[in-house]
Amino acid sequence: MSVTSEVPAAFRNAADDPGAARLIREGLADIVSRRRLVRYLVQADMRKRGADTILGNFWWVLDPLLQMLVYVIFVTIVVSRKTPDYPLFIFAAILPWKWFTTSVVDATSAVASQDRLIKQIQFPKLVLPVATTTAGVVGFAFGLIPLAGLMLFYADRISPFLLLVPLIAVVQYVFTLAFSILLAAGNVFFRDLGNVARHVLRLWWFLSPGLYSLAVLDEVHVVQANPILKVIANANPFAILFEAYRKVIYGAPTSPPGLPDWTSLAVLLLVSVGFLALSTVVFKRLEPSFAKVL
Amino acid sequence: MTTIDSPPPPTLRADSLQAIGVEDMGVRYDLRFTKKTTIRRSVGQILGRGSQEPFWALRHVSLRVVHGESLAVIGPNGAGKSTLLQVLAGIIRPSEGAVDVRGHVSGLLTLGAGFDRELSGRDNILLGGAFLGLEDEVTRRLLPSIIEYAELGDFIDAPIKTYSSGMRARLGFAIATSVDPDILLLDEVLATGDANFRAKSKARVIEIVRAAKAVVLVTHDMSWVTEYSNRAVLIEKGRLIMEGDPAEVVALHRQHTDEARAASAAAATAAGLDPGIAGQGRR
Repeated sequence: MSVTSEVPAAFRNAADDPGAARLIREGLADIVSRRRLVRYLVQADMRKRGADTILGNFWWVLDPLLQMLVYVIFVTIVVSRKTPDYPLFIFAAILPWKWFTTSVVDATSAVASQDRLIKQIQFPKLVLPVATTTAGVVGFAFGLIPLAGLMLFYADRISPFLLLVPLIAVVQYVFTLAFSILLAAGNVFFRDLGNVARHVLRLWWFLSPGLYSLAVLDEVHVVQANPILKVIANANPFAILFEAYRKVIYGAPTSPPGLPDWTSLAVLLLVSVGFLALSTVVFKRLEPSFAKVL
Repeated sequence: MTTIDSPPPPTLRADSLQAIGVEDMGVRYDLRFTKKTTIRRSVGQILGRGSQEPFWALRHVSLRVVHGESLAVIGPNGAGKSTLLQVLAGIIRPSEGAVDVRGHVSGLLTLGAGFDRELSGRDNILLGGAFLGLEDEVTRRLLPSIIEYAELGDFIDAPIKTYSSGMRARLGFAIATSVDPDILLLDEVLATGDANFRAKSKARVIEIVRAAKAVVLVTHDMSWVTEYSNRAVLIEKGRLIMEGDPAEVVALHRQHTDEARAASAAAATAAGLDPGIAGQGRR
């Protein structure tokens, strides 16, 4: 009876050293042939998040709102900056950022936490980080509910440009996936990568224009003295993403929403696809040693 | 009634009948990347401090299993038996040599390893099937028989964390044996559960062994080796020491075990007399 989807004949030679193009092809085939497994893993992830908590999946809605509240209090009272409709201004960044950090933190342990399974069954390990990253998309979709609620308070900023949010999310997904795959593989060999990632992420958030707009940087003395910093700040993927999300959700402090900067989004998408190919090759190269190291 | 027929005559050993071929295979473990490496430790090692020799879990192993054969792998703990099964299952790539496995492989390695404790038994069956690479329709078709075989009753929709260890073992066994493999890899699976389930599982394994085209079994149960295998190999310290008739291989293994026991007893006696000498004498 032919029940398995794998190729029945398996010839493994130690001298076999596949090239980058073949590894990418294999990686694609891994995901396509095991899409059902990815789906089950995503469903399991969602179910587990809901279990054991009083509010269940409602946390997906509540969490970004509470985070927004903290920053609104911090910035308006402590720093006393005045930006019109500030809650919506930062919510447009909190939502994608929460998606990114959740995916990255989960993906870091995605392979290492399945050590028992990896030592028992042969399956494409690439499905693990892909599943956690995809589960993050579902969380992001849940986050659109509080966004819709918040928009009701700022009804004059509601616009058809909101429909472009999924398009920007696609760019972010490709970038997040590339990042997650790389970290998932690296964490097998360096278990403190999770700690490193957490601190880097916190720093990254404050260096990205989430609580402030990119234009604010022009007023900062350090940036005025070193124009190179402005170039670096503009090249930050999350500068491009936050500015794009903000443009279609919030607009600008004094103007309504509009079209995002397509050029920088397109460049980011291209770079992310290249990054994804690179991290897939790295992952596939390291994959054979996972069972030994874990 | 129970045994597989005696080994096929040499004339039948044509290449089309080969299920598993292993040629001069070796598995090297780089001890630089063992469990829970931190970046600091690795940087230290890359800079030359605390460099470690590579460790060969298996080396120069060659063997061949043809269709209809049941091969027993025996040897002391840490000899590399489980590593051999992991290589045959495709979980570990050989560091040298080549491995040729023809057919669908199923491994009944340690049971219930991949269970997700938060999910129900039913969800775990579906997830387990997906991990094993089964088509979804196949898993769904097998679902009722797996649930019945595991004797879980209403617990099937409760999270695995509420299961007793016996229930977990039964479910793991039921999932792993629901597949009809061409090549079956067994690693010490016969010692789980209560006496009742052990008898039931042994019967099931015999059934699969008969249906499978080839079986490779790792066990410490010597009666199983002589009773159900038609060939055996002895592995010690990663080397294949002997291959041949189960009874002869078991005899050599018993002899080596007795020698090792005598040696360690002697070392223990020496330790009582002079701790310094014993420290050198013990391996």
